Parts: sequence; C-alpha cells; structure tokens
Amino acid sequence: MKLINKYFFLLIILALGFTRCNKKLDIEPEQSVDAINALRTAGDVESAVVGTYSILGSGPLYGNNLLLLPELIVADDNLDWYGTFKGFADIYNSGTDKFNIEAQRTWASAYAAINVANNILPSLNVVSNADAKKRIEGEALFVRGLMYFELLRLYSNPDPSKNGGLGVPLILTATTNEEQASQKKGRDPISAVYTSIMADLTKAISLLPSTNNPGRATSWAAKAIMARVHLQRGEYDKALQFSNDVIENGSFSLNSGVTAVFYNKNTPESIFEIQQNDQNTAFNANDGLTTFYGNWPNGVGRADIEPSYDFYYSHDPADKRFNELFGFGELTSPFPDGLYTKKWKELGQNIPIIRLAEMYLIRAEANQRLGSAVGATPEDDIAVIRSRAGLSPISNPTLNDILMERRFELAFEGFRSHDYKRLRATSAPLPWNADRYVLPIPERERLANELLIQNVGY
Amino acid sequence: MRQSRILPLLLSLLLICQSVWAQTPVTGRVTDVRDGTPLSGVTVTIKNTNTGTTTDANGTFTLNVSENARLIFSFVGYQSLELPTNSVANVSLSRGENALSEVVVVGYGTRIRRDLTGSVSKISAREINNLPLPSFESALQGRAAGVFINSGSGKLGQALDIRIRGISSISASTQPLFVIDGVPVVSQALGTANTEPDNPLAVINPEDIESIEVLKDASSAAIYGSRAANGVVIVTTKTGKAGKTRVNFGFYTGVSSPTKKQEFLNAAEYRELFTDAIKNSSRNGVRYTRDDPAAAWKRYTGNNDWATNTDVDANWADEAFQDGSVQQYSIAVSGGDNKTKFLLSGNYNDQKGIILGNQLNKFTGKINLDHNLSERLKTGLNIAGLKMVNDRVPDDNDFANPVQLNALPPIQRIYNDDGTLNRQTIYYNNLIDQVANINRGITFRSIGNLFAQYSFTKNFYFRSEFGFDWQDLEEEQFYSKETETGATYNGLSANYSTKASTWNVRNYVNYSQTFKDLHEISGVAGIEYQEYNTRANGLQGASLPNDQFKKIASAAKIVFGSSTTNNSSFASYFARGNYKFNNRYLLQASVRVDGSSRFAKDERYGVFPSVSAGWIISEENFLRKSDWLSFLKLRAGYGRTGNAEIGNFAYRTLWGAAFYADQAGIVPTQIGRDDLRWETSDQVDIGLDFGIIKNRVTAEVDYYVKKTKDLLLNFQLPTQNGFGTITKNIGKMENRGWEFTVSSRNLVGAFKWNTSINVSSYKNEVTDMGGSTLNGGSRQLGRVEAGKPFGYFYGPQYLGVDPANGDALYADVAGKPTNDPDLAADFEIGNPHPEFYGGFNNNFSYKGFDLDVQSQFVSGNDLYNIAGFFQSVNGDFYDNQTRDQMSYWRKPGDITDVPQPRLLDGNGAIKSSRWVQDGSYFRIKNVVLGYTIPRNSLRRLKIENARVYVAANNLFTFTDYKGYDPEVNATYISNINLGHDFYTPPQAKTITVGINVGF
Repeated sequence: MKLINKYFFLLIILALGFTRCNKKLDIEPEQSVDAINALRTAGDVESAVVGTYSILGSGPLYGNNLLLLPELIVADDNLDWYGTFKGFADIYNSGTDKFNIEAQRTWASAYAAINVANNILPSLNVVSNADAKKRIEGEALFVRGLMYFELLRLYSNPDPSKNGGLGVPLILTATTNEEQASQKKGRDPISAVYTSIMADLTKAISLLPSTNNPGRATSWAAKAIMARVHLQRGEYDKALQFSNDVIENGSFSLNSGVTAVFYNKNTPESIFEIQQNDQNTAFNANDGLTTFYGNWPNGVGRADIEPSYDFYYSHDPADKRFNELFGFGELTSPFPDGLYTKKWKELGQNIPIIRLAEMYLIRAEANQRLGSAVGATPEDDIAVIRSRAGLSPISNPTLNDILMERRFELAFEGFRSHDYKRLRATSAPLPWNADRYVLPIPERERLANELLIQNVGY
Repeated sequence: MRQSRILPLLLSLLLICQSVWAQTPVTGRVTDVRDGTPLSGVTVTIKNTNTGTTTDANGTFTLNVSENARLIFSFVGYQSLELPTNSVANVSLSRGENALSEVVVVGYGTRIRRDLTGSVSKISAREINNLPLPSFESALQGRAAGVFINSGSGKLGQALDIRIRGISSISASTQPLFVIDGVPVVSQALGTANTEPDNPLAVINPEDIESIEVLKDASSAAIYGSRAANGVVIVTTKTGKAGKTRVNFGFYTGVSSPTKKQEFLNAAEYRELFTDAIKNSSRNGVRYTRDDPAAAWKRYTGNNDWATNTDVDANWADEAFQDGSVQQYSIAVSGGDNKTKFLLSGNYNDQKGIILGNQLNKFTGKINLDHNLSERLKTGLNIAGLKMVNDRVPDDNDFANPVQLNALPPIQRIYNDDGTLNRQTIYYNNLIDQVANINRGITFRSIGNLFAQYSFTKNFYFRSEFGFDWQDLEEEQFYSKETETGATYNGLSANYSTKASTWNVRNYVNYSQTFKDLHEISGVAGIEYQEYNTRANGLQGASLPNDQFKKIASAAKIVFGSSTTNNSSFASYFARGNYKFNNRYLLQASVRVDGSSRFAKDERYGVFPSVSAGWIISEENFLRKSDWLSFLKLRAGYGRTGNAEIGNFAYRTLWGAAFYADQAGIVPTQIGRDDLRWETSDQVDIGLDFGIIKNRVTAEVDYYVKKTKDLLLNFQLPTQNGFGTITKNIGKMENRGWEFTVSSRNLVGAFKWNTSINVSSYKNEVTDMGGSTLNGGSRQLGRVEAGKPFGYFYGPQYLGVDPANGDALYADVAGKPTNDPDLAADFEIGNPHPEFYGGFNNNFSYKGFDLDVQSQFVSGNDLYNIAGFFQSVNGDFYDNQTRDQMSYWRKPGDITDVPQPRLLDGNGAIKSSRWVQDGSYFRIKNVVLGYTIPRNSLRRLKIENARVYVAANNLFTFTDYKGYDPEVNATYISNINLGHDFYTPPQAKTITVGINVGF
C-alpha cells in the first residue's frame, strides 16, 4: 500500500496542476496593441502621424501606383507597357475591368491613410504641446486632403456630363468599431469632395510649420499641393497665387543638375518627398517604380515599360533630360536595345512628389493663360527650367511650348493622364472624358457597399 | 489540503474493487494457423478490462484471470479471437481481414469496430508499408471513404489539401486536426510567403506508423470538440512487442517521371501561327512594318531572333523536368519482455524530384519505450526526431517556376553558342535560377509523448500524458545577381527561422465494467491543456560581392529584418460514456468543453456534445440463424464540433507598427468584435454496416448532413472606412453526402483475392453569407455566394468562334452571342466539387506472391487553367501556345473553337469558360508486386523473413484534362479558388524495387 500511496499522490498533484488553466487563456498579442491603448499619449499620436506617411509611401500610393497609373491610363504617345501584370496591362490597354487589382489596392490604401488621419484628429487633446498639436493636426489634414485629391483624379470623370459629377465617398470621421467600419455611404459629388479638399489644405497651411522632419508635410508642401489642385481645376489665378508664393517665399531652389532630385535625398528643389530606405521601401521584385520602369545594365528592373520613341526623339539633342534621364538597355539588361527612363534607379530611392520645377511650370502656365507676369514672365520661368536642362530660352513661349516643357520636365512622374484630362485633349485614341480613362469603382467595394455607383462603362 | 475530499473517495473505490480481484493463472500458446509458427507479441486481454499481457518469443503467455472470464487475442494483421479461459492452451490465429474485430483508435481510447456507433476509417501499417509515399497522409487517398485528397502537384514536400466530408469553412481552416500519438500537432505550413509552403507532416516517416484513423462523423470527432469540425486524423505509431529481439531492414530505390508532359508548338508551327497573328493584328502597319513578322517581333521583344534563328527549334517545356529518383533505407529494432518493451527505428529517405532543382532528403529516428513498474503502474516514452532538407521550387506564380519555361518561344535558344544560358528571352530564362540560386528549407522536428498509467483496479485506470511537438524550419535563400530577383538587389541572401512548439498535458480516467454479462459500460473523462508558441525571425541582406558569397555576413546592406512571437492556448474538459446492452444495443455520449485564448473572455468557452447509438440487428433472434447475413448493424449519431482555426487575435481591434524610412509609426491593422465565437458544425450521421457469407463481404454505408453555422467569415467591409475585412460569425454552410465502402474476400483458397471499393459523394452549399459575396480575382473564377457551392466558377461564358469572321464569342446578359467582351455577362460556368470520388483496390496472393493494385477516381469536377490566358489564347502575345491552338480560325466558314490569332488584340483573351475543363480522372495509384521468400530457404541464413517487391506510384492516369495533371491546385491563389491550375507541375510517376529482411 505504501508504494501505491506514493504514486497515487503524484497523480493527484498532477491532476491539480490544472486549476489555473483558465488564467492561461489570457494571451496578449506581441506585435500589436489594442486600439484602446493605441492613441493615449502625445507620443502615440505622433507615431500615428508617421503611420499615415508610411501608407502614403506604399506601392498602392506614392510608392508606385499614384505615379505609374496616371502614365498608363493615357499611354498613347507616352510609353508602352510590355509587362505581364494584368492590372497594369489592362489599364494601359484601356481594357480595365471592374476587378482590376491596381484600382482595388489604390482605393483601399488611400482610404486607409484617410482613416488614420481621421483617427488622429479626435485624439489631439492628448497632445499638450501647442506647437506639436498644431503641426500634427496640420499633417493629418494635409494627408487627408491630398488623398481625396488623388482619388478624385483617378476614380471620377471630370466631365459632369459623362458620369453625373460623381466623386468619391467623403469619410471625415474616425473608424474605431465595426459599426463604423461597415457603414455604407455612396459617392459624394465632385464639388463636395473638392470643397473638403480645399478646407483641409487651407487649414493645413495655417497649422503646419514651414519646416518639418524629412518627408513630412510643411506649410510649403500644402501650398504647393494647393497650386496643383487649382491648376487641375482650371482655377489659374489661385494656382498662380500659390505657386508664386512657394517660389518667392519658400526656401527652395532648383538643383543644378537634372538627376539630383531623383538620385539624392531631400535636395533643395524638393518640396515634398516620400522617404524610403533600403529596408522600408515600396520597391521589390514585383512592385515599385524602379521595378517597372528600370532596364538597367546591372539587371535592375523588369523593363515592363518603354517610353515612346516619338516622345524620346522630340527632345532637343542637347537636353540634359534627354541625355541623362534616358538610357538604352545593354546586353546584360532585361530588354536589350530597350529605351528606359533613368528617373527610377534604386531600391531605397526617395520619391519626389512635388518639386520646385513644377511650381515654375504652374506659374508660367497660369501667367500665360491669364496674360499676367506675376513673379516672373512665362518666358523667364520656362527659361529657368530649360537652362537647368542645358537649353536656351524660348522667346515668347506659347501655351503649347509651356505644356511641352512640362511634359519634358515631369515625364514619368505621374502627370500624363491628369494633364491630358485637364487640358481636355483628344489626341490619344480616346478623348479626355472617355469612360476608359477613369478607373472603375472596384467591384469588391460595390459588393460590400451597394450604394456606390459604378462609373459608366464598367 | 484540497485533495482531502477526493482521496478517501478514490481509496474506498480502490478497496471495493480489490475484493473482486480473485484470480487463477492461465497459460497458453499462440500460433499462426497457416504454418504453425509461434506468434510473439500477440496482445492477450481479459475481456472488458484493461488487464492483459503479450506473448513471448515462443508464443506463450501467462495471465491471472477470474474463473469465467474470456480472453481476447489480437495481433496486427490477424483476426482477433475471443475465447473462454478453458480453451486457450493452443490458440491459432488466422491472417485476415475481419474488419469487425479490428481495434480502432477513437481518441482517448480504443473500440472494437463491431461496437462503433460512429463513422471511422482506418488505414493500417500493412497498407502503407513499402510505398514511396510523398507523405503519410497521401495513404488516405482512395482508401478512406469520404476523405478527399488533392496532392496539388508533384513538388516534393508539398502540403496536401485534405477535405473530410466536404468543405465547412470559408475563412477558417478546412484541414482536419492531426493527432499523433495523442498530441495535436502543428499541421499548417510554416515559412514565408512567396515560397512553396513545406508540408510539416512530410517529416513523419510512414514506416513508423501503426495505423491512421479518420474520425469522420461528429459523434466520433466531438471528443476533440472545438478543433474537430473538419474531422480528426489520428496517427498511432508502432510500439515494441515482447519476445525475441527482432531486427528489420528495408531498402527501396526507384525512378520517377512526370505523369504527363504537355504539348506545345514547335518552331514551324509557332512561326505559322504568329505570322497570322501579326498579319491580323490591328497594330499591323501601325506599330511595325506591315505584314513583317520579324519587324513586329523586334518591336515587341527587342531582339532579332525571328529573323536570325531560322534553325532554332527549342523544346522549352521539357527543360522544366528532370528524371527523379528515390531511395530509402530503414531499420527497426524491437523487442522486450513482459516488463519492458522497446522499438528503435531509423530511416533515411532521399528523393530527387521531377521538377528541375527539386530535391529532398530526410532522416528520421524514433524511440518507443514502455515499462511496467508494477502490475498497476506503467510508463512509456515515445520520441520521434526528424530532419528534412528540401531544395524547393518557387511557387507557381513565380517567374522562376521551371514550368513557366513552357511560355518561351521555340524560336529562341535555350543556350548560347558558347554554352551559357541565353538571357535574351521574352520571359525570364529561369534555368539561370536553377544554376545559381539556393532555396532550401531545413526542418528539424521532434514529436514526443510521455505517459504514466495507473490501474486502481482492473476496470479503472488513470492516465497522465505529456506531449510535445517542436518544429524548427530554417529557410535559406540565395539569389544570384545573375537572376531576376537577385539583380534587383545586386545579390540577395535571406534567412528565415520559424520555431513552432506546442506542448500539452492530458489527464484522464478510464473505467469499464460488465454487469451480469448483459450491461457493459465504459467511460473516459479528463482534462487537457495545450499551448502553442510560434517564434519567427528573418533577415535579408543585399549587395553581395559576387556569387561565391552567399550568406548575409557578406552582404553590404540589410534590407529586411524581423522577429515575431505568437501564442495561443486551449484548456479543455472532456468525457465520454459507452453503454452496451446484451451485446447488441450500443449507446455513446460525449461532451467536450473547450476554452481558447483566441476569443474574448465572455466567449471563450464552447460546449461540444455528441450522442450516438447502434443496434446490432444480426444478434437478434430473427436474424441469428440467417445463413447469408452474418452481421448487420444500424447506427446513428449526432454531434457538434467547432472550428477556431483563425488568427490568434481576430476578435480584437489592433494597431501595429508601420515604417516611413527611418521613422517608426503606427497604423490600425485590424478591426474586431468582442463577441466573436466558435464556428460550429452540427452533423447527423446514419450508417448501416453489414457482413454476408461469414463476413466475407462486408460493407458500410453512411449518409450525413453537416450544417455549419456562425461561420468565421472574413466579412468584406467597404474599405472606404479604413478596413477591408472583419472576422465575424456570419453565414451558414451545408454539406450532405453518401459514403459507401464494400470489402470482399472473393477467393480464399491458396489463391486469394480481396477487393474493396469506396465511393463518396457530397453536395456543398453555402446557405447564408450575410449578404456578402466573395470573388476569386480578376483572373480567377472562384466565387462564394449564398445558394451556391463554395468556390463555384462564375464568369463570362465562352461560346466559341464566329465562323464568319473569327471573332471570339461570349454570351451577353440575354445569353445571346456577342463579340464584344465588354458585353459578356457573368454566369455560373463550373463546379470544382466532384460529383463522386473514391477508390477501387484489389489484392491477390498466391503462395509467396502478392499483388496489390490500388486505384483512385474523381468524377464530375471542373478545373480552370489560368495559364490559358497565356498559353491557349491563339497567339495574343508571344508566349508559346498549346498545340490545340493550331486549329485556329483561318477563313470564313471555318468551324472551330480557337479564334483568329490577332497579336495583342485580345481576341478571346478575357477570363471565361474557355479554359474550364472536366477534371475527372481515374488513376492507378499504387501497384505493388511482392514475393515472400519461403522460410525454409532462409533458415540457413539466420533470416526470419524476407520479401522483395516492385512498386509503382501513379502508374496510369486516365483523364480528358488537357493540362499536365488533373490532380492540381495552384498554390498562390486564395482558398476560394478551388480547382485552379497555373503552371502547376504534374504529379510524379514513381517505380521502385525494394527488399525487406527480418532477423
């Protein structure tokens, strides 16, 4: 019996080891925090602001799509897409369907960034430092305004007669629970979205400091975006006012060479620039501007895009942008003989979103259209851009000269289709207000929210 | 002292039972009925107790029994026998198939098949020995009714898709729970995205397996509660047998090749088709010189190959494959005495895959030790250690996937004149990867179980088990700067390590007793706790000096680094009771309460009950005398099971880190709801088992209805509010089906012939999705929608070609043909679920020869070949085309399925039923021909037994599917796209010869 007792007790003790099992079911995640604890301190809110930029820098937004899709949508005299990625190929071929993966991921990411901004705004009361509070509010509004601007440009037909002036759903409140996350809201009119963009950017200008950490919004970045927004809307006086303000009163200056703004980080010319490094970058073997545009002799890039030869040869042979920003593949590159732009070169390269050269071009165009010479004459502004490219000035440039200069300067930086639509051009196979030049509202979204009206043609 | 109340109770129980422990010793000898050789290791148990022993080397045993007890003799591969104690002096067992007497492992215990009230399939060691199985689960294919297995492809070490009785979840796992020697193990693939997932079960050596049981219906599976909704697969490994120490040595070697290679155009055909494609293109004369194929080629590819390579006719498709081989050495030593039994085994398996660069080798070792400390207390230890090295192939969607080489034009050279690989190809010549890159997965795993069992009385024992499963996967990747991915990074080296460990403790009591020879009761009750922990870290270094340097230590910059930890746990309480009256009325009830860390506090516990009953009608007087009907049992059961295989923290709303170059930030990552709870399945099963002509023919028929509710669905949200999905309990799904198994001993004389057939069918229907719909993607057809089968094919209907002009035609909204793809409407165009599937197995033996032919079939399912977009699209781009494209439309009046080729015009290029095909197949899965060398001729060599054999795996496949292999599942697409093929490699056909020798 003694032996039995010994084992018996052992077993009983084993059995009792279990009473605390229930406690063991309390397990906390280690790579995330509960939303309730996410935005409790000034430091937390500061982190969330960085979070918005990290979404901005991702492949669906400025890391790739917001610069690439506008080039593909009206690709005709601009470039050819040779790649196999169906999402891009369909957009290039004007054969986009409502399942387009690029249209889907850009939509989702833009709204994800907007949601972080919407979460920051009601949490500002935990930031006690008044300057920091202003700055953070300004950054959140900047990001939100900017994203709505990008959404409108891609998903709305600017011609109200084509699609009833439908914009995108305007969401201005934070999503913190399921009820809010599943709320269905239809598309707001373009005008309402623009009103919101203006309100956000105007307030951002008043709140933002003139300098900030690298790659973060400043009052100058907000003003420069304002200039771009007004230009897109054909409000040339306002575009002129903001671009002139940035040129005259901002502390920016053109780089001496044409490649520096791409190959170096945060150069004096750069007004707002997406930051990347080798580890945190939108570039990988299947995403990123370098990946799709690149055809470098060291094998970098997939050579999915070839700039159009017509466009290439329309450059002045002396143009530094022609000589330094284009290349032909060599035997070791993916597409030997293939033409490629050298703007996108490296893995961890920063991506300039707004640079001073664009402000000169906006001011020149606006002055030209308005017949004014605020800040400088169009001739002088164009001369600034041209002389940097090693070209002589054009005397008395026409509007067309200015627009052509704009194409040379801003090629492959995400301007092509936006300009085509803004200028109401008809030179490409389809006119500026063509159904196929507007991305579809992703089918997935319409299945989740039947209030979203699809764009005509999908 | 909390024990104080329990202790006296148990002690008193002990004393009560002590008094009935009156015994007399009985001795006997057990031999083989065929040749009279003594059988050692036969289990001899006293009926209705847990008391027993095993026979020694001479086949003898001694056991203390009470007077009117009956003894049960059971031995693997032999028919069990039940005898009164007065007739056990000389017992002879016959080899056999009497399925009714086989012992079936049911989780926390065993049952005799005759007494089962649920639906359980069993595969025993005999059936899987000596087969070159890619991994042990594939042994279930075609052998277990209701178990549908899709091996996906012929890649070595690849995870299998296993579906037991249909599919019952949309967003949570659909794979069964695997329990190895009592330990619920990690069966999800570890490892990084974008690489082919390694099958964690591939490390388990099939030779170590004693039996595999599949708990199919809920009344059987409910004892595993919250994790049993997809069924439970219980694996029991071999243990030592008392008696003379036996040494078994096995070896086999073989070769393998693809089951099929696909036919692509040769250079002449390619030129013919593309000359037309270029001529007919809207770009003809716009983007290149009119009617000049060489100019068009130059325009779109950047080289002159069309003009210069007139002598080139390359077969790129075949470059993807190599001659495979397999070798296996195994050794097992087992033996012991009445107190201690042991089994040691070791195995080395080396395989070269049929896909270029695919290689796998593994070592496994196993120790199994049982020791009886006393009559009452026994302990045991069971540890398996494994190492597997897998040189993997990239996932299907990777340009480096060798099968994608078939897209390359036959007019481009594979090698340059100087013998180097041609790099100037329209798609990446990924042979460069095979030469320069490394993609290796190294798995270390140990699975073990330690137990102690104490018998208070002969009817009542307590068992405590501690089990663990530690798995360590290290992934080593190197991308040369010569290769596509490597070039982006100027050489890339990556290393990922994932350690998944789980441990669990089970304590339970088991009681069994017979009263008045009429009432048999037994029961088990216990508690179980399990903890899972996954720790992963990874690092990538870029910019390596040159290809001689392959490690991150030589990398100039670190481009990725991460470490993560994830934990989850389960606490469970379970009980099961069985009652048998008069040997003919069976009743079973069980309940399990599971608590999981994956749910919020208030929703943490789930209750999973089951009840089932059986009636052995053949025991009734009105049937007892029947000559032809030897057994008839009706059984019915109901049970509730659960599924919690979702993310660990799906119920929470979370924020996680996000980076902006050097600045670290946070973003919301997930929205959740506190009331998230288990997905529950209620299943009813009705079955009939019968045996006729002295059980020479036995059959089982089952009908089940499985209704799953509160589906853990990743419900689609409008992303405009910031989140794409939320995991919530919404929606319902239903599976109902039939299973039919019949086994027959057709001939029982010197020439023996056994046949078994199983056929299953199920109907799956998603009955409620909360108004949500899921679509597979822009190229995929899978769709989940209420009222339809999970993953049914939905998309435009292809109507062939307009004979007048060669335009591809699609059905518009009204079903009328249109040549405008924009007007093509979406329809239901296929069903990836089979109408029925099963296996047909025959076994012949004559004297020392035996022949086993096992086949498998799937019928009525549709497959969709996504690669059709590129390879069967009448030359829309320069991809080489499948040979059937040559029947393209050439002139008005042509009746064909293949539209007129028009380069880049997209004629017939949209996603549609054009690439949907019937996926039915019949496959001779395994054929084994063996010869057992007569013992007399072996005696002089001191060899106990020896067998030589030839085996073939996937010997013949009969199908109309035009792709590589109808048993396919592309790996990169979401789970709702069932039956999709995308450059997926075929299965391997393997032929081996082998020998087994026992000393």
